[in-house]
Amino acid sequence: MTVSPPTNQEILELGLASCVDGACLPIKAFLGHIQFLVRQGLSLLFVPRLVSLFREEYTCPNLLGLPDLVRSYVPSGVQLLSVEVDARRGRAHLPCTYLRWGLEFADLPTVIQAYRRAQWAQRKVNTTHWRYGSLPRPSVLLVGPRYLLDDPYLTANIQEKLEQLGVQVSTASQLPDRVTVKASRFLEKRPFWTATRRSMGSLQYWRHHIDGVISLAPFGCGAEAMQGVLLAQHLKGRDLPYLELYLDEHSSPVGLLTRLEAFCDLLERKRSG
Amino acid sequence: MRITFPHLGSSHIAVEAFLRGLGHEPITPPPTSRRTPELGAFHSPAEVCLPFKIVLGNMLEGIEQGADCVLMIGGWGPCRLGYYGEIQRLLLQALGQQVQFITLEVPRGNYGKYWTHFRQLTAVTRPGDLVRGARLSWAKLNALEELETLALQSRPVEKQRGLTTQYLEGSLRRLQQAESVQEIESVLSWARLGFSDLRDPAKPSPLRVGLVGEIYTVVEAFCNLRLEERLGHLGVEVVRTISLAEWVTNHIFKKAVGLFSLAPLRRLAAGYLTGFIGGHGLESVARSVALARQNLDGIVHILPLSCMPEVVARGILPRVSRDHQVPVLSLVVDEHTGECGFQTRLEAFVDLVRRRVEHLGPRGQARLPGR
Repeated sequence: MTVSPPTNQEILELGLASCVDGACLPIKAFLGHIQFLVRQGLSLLFVPRLVSLFREEYTCPNLLGLPDLVRSYVPSGVQLLSVEVDARRGRAHLPCTYLRWGLEFADLPTVIQAYRRAQWAQRKVNTTHWRYGSLPRPSVLLVGPRYLLDDPYLTANIQEKLEQLGVQVSTASQLPDRVTVKASRFLEKRPFWTATRRSMGSLQYWRHHIDGVISLAPFGCGAEAMQGVLLAQHLKGRDLPYLELYLDEHSSPVGLLTRLEAFCDLLERKRSG
Repeated sequence: MRITFPHLGSSHIAVEAFLRGLGHEPITPPPTSRRTPELGAFHSPAEVCLPFKIVLGNMLEGIEQGADCVLMIGGWGPCRLGYYGEIQRLLLQALGQQVQFITLEVPRGNYGKYWTHFRQLTAVTRPGDLVRGARLSWAKLNALEELETLALQSRPVEKQRGLTTQYLEGSLRRLQQAESVQEIESVLSWARLGFSDLRDPAKPSPLRVGLVGEIYTVVEAFCNLRLEERLGHLGVEVVRTISLAEWVTNHIFKKAVGLFSLAPLRRLAAGYLTGFIGGHGLESVARSVALARQNLDGIVHILPLSCMPEVVARGILPRVSRDHQVPVLSLVVDEHTGECGFQTRLEAFVDLVRRRVEHLGPRGQARLPGR
């Protein structure tokens, strides 16, 4: 098993050279990872089809078509392993798909054991990650899709930079789904994209504990464009500073840093009255 | 209530009839003009797609004309269209417009709200009027699609440039005024004769190019810069793969009772796209394959900038083109699309298709070089 390294200049450029224009930055980077692995001579790639991570919700159209998009850009000798992750079809669907998929490679006891181990590992990661209740001040809520926020190269290390500027960063991924689903009920129409629901839910949950909101979105992301309006409406009259950042391959880390510094100055000035 | 609704091609003819059947006064917004997307874009977030901006512009223009209720369609994803209505409601509210906003969608969540909206829409009508209105509206929808298809067929071989468009506009006006199913029938039979009169039998049979893509950009002539007309004047018969009546049947009636199946589309797109990706992404790929199998001379794919499902389709269509030996042109539109550049690309594409067909023999045997 080979895992591609964290995104770097080379990988992103590979992606930019091959990907269809109009796709968002994370998709381009993903195709870069694929190209990187193909160049290493790998001929079996794991590209799951993430339809839905939570009931009645979708991830995003780009992720729904990701394995098919990837197939257009790899040589015909490369095979793709695509598991369909679709939480809309009920609780049992997910383990069943994994088991059926695993049976192609090993016998049942091994597959069950592997599944259990994976579940346990995931739960352990989650529990160390969760962060309930109040937050240390000054604190900023960073909203946006997780596949962008968790990539330090694509976001020009924004989380670390904010911490260096003396601001605590919290993200929507630090709250479990049941919390954000409950918190996002204030919206008249529940968003059907998981990332948007998490963002709006975490904002509502932490609204009294944060000093500012930064929204980070890939340019061309449809869900984030809609979320911008929801956020702006929700923050209206709430006296919470809000910074909207759109990222694409032409974003400069220096320009980003300047805007972050200005935002942090604003927070500082507001706090000192 | 005085109800306004966004334009979608010529569908306002059918919607008007339906709203009259419901006992409301339809306020059709003025035809989409330069001002509409400007008005819409001024109040929308910058990153949303062109249809959102035009639709919002339509609503604002409808409200200017005195509407007190806005009718919009909704949905549950993953395409942005499903959330259009909610965002537009918020934007109109922020603008201080005191209007009722009704979204038509499969109910989910707050059922009380849907029931109130349903009651408001049907409060003033009698069952007989409702049925009559629905029948009239359905007949008009089918008729206007037939008229448009006839226009597409006769435009490339018309006797004099522009006659077809003029005749189509006249027929649509008469269809709009029709007040019974019989009248619609007579408009249609007149139009069938009229359109065949417009054709010049001396002209050679035209090239046939399929049109796939996102429904709004395909259907709305303002949004696609009158693409069908442009292609027609270049001597190309456009084969539309998207039909409003079919969309209504599939996405409103069949989906509501759970009969809507994607299986035929998935079969067509097998090997290219595994399943539903929202919007018309799957349709675009599946219909392209179907068009290629019908030996069409080329395919034009049209999408609004930053349309997520169509971007995926756009990434896959080159493979369809390679495998099935059919030229595909992907066109991206937004409010800044220039007419000249658009026209140049269409002319170049039509030249390529024409030369290819002339060079490589009759339809069905044409092959791209190198294969």
